[in-house]
Amino acid sequence: MKGIFGSHIHLTAKVMDMRLDRQNLVMGNIANVNTPDYKAQRLEFEGKLQSALNQDAHGKMTRTSQDHMPSAFSANGFQGDDLQDFKPRHIYGEDRVDLDKEMTSLAKNGMMYNALATVIRKNFQGLQRVIQDGAK
Amino acid sequence: MDFMTALDIGASGLKAQRANLNVISMNMANMRTTKTMEGGPYRRKSVSFEATPVYSPFDTAMRDKLNQNLQGVKVLGVTADERPFKQVYDPHHPDANDQGYVFYPDINVVEEMTNMMNATRGYESNVQTITAVKQMFQRALQIGQG
Repeated sequence: MKGIFGSHIHLTAKVMDMRLDRQNLVMGNIANVNTPDYKAQRLEFEGKLQSALNQDAHGKMTRTSQDHMPSAFSANGFQGDDLQDFKPRHIYGEDRVDLDKEMTSLAKNGMMYNALATVIRKNFQGLQRVIQDGAK
Repeated sequence: MDFMTALDIGASGLKAQRANLNVISMNMANMRTTKTMEGGPYRRKSVSFEATPVYSPFDTAMRDKLNQNLQGVKVLGVTADERPFKQVYDPHHPDANDQGYVFYPDINVVEEMTNMMNATRGYESNVQTITAVKQMFQRALQIGQG
């Protein structure tokens, strides 16, 4: 059964969640910009999300017929990868927090988050509009 | 994982950089101090930082794995620099020794200024992160406004 909210809303919400996670990590990196021996941490989810979406849209099993139902993407089951095993090179200056990189990823991430928030807001506005127009 | 965590991390960064700046200005102010409470000239101080987990151990056990890697920063301590004092020949100085030498702390203004710039930039970037998170928070609130 189709609910009132399309599945893309859940997906958008999940991505916003991941972006907030990333924002937290980047803030941790920036806060530790002068901490010796601190290794910058990263959170990667885009590629994995993409493949999870593809996988689920086509079903985890091979579909032998177009009439078979694809399994729906579940936003709840998805998680990003924290790059723990990321091994930095131990050369002075190479493995320390790169402020340029962190600030850029912060800005990028924040903008994407805000854009997604706008998308989700427009979703709801559209929904409201449909409901209101139907009442007339 | 929520907004308040992000703000806490940012605040820890601000606090650390401010502590750093305090110590740097203390060094600058005391660059010609020849007498201290402990006796002898002033010793140059430096701050050491430590990355510290944001959550308490219980939280760490309870929350999902991603959160456990979040790290804020804290000031581990202020340590005295062991570099030798500068010897200046000035027999008329009240703190001159028998040979007429006065010991001054070996504080390099350029070094301190560089550290100061570093701390200021660090502080500013933390302010930026907090501003960004506040904007994100505003946007998230606006979702509810239809």
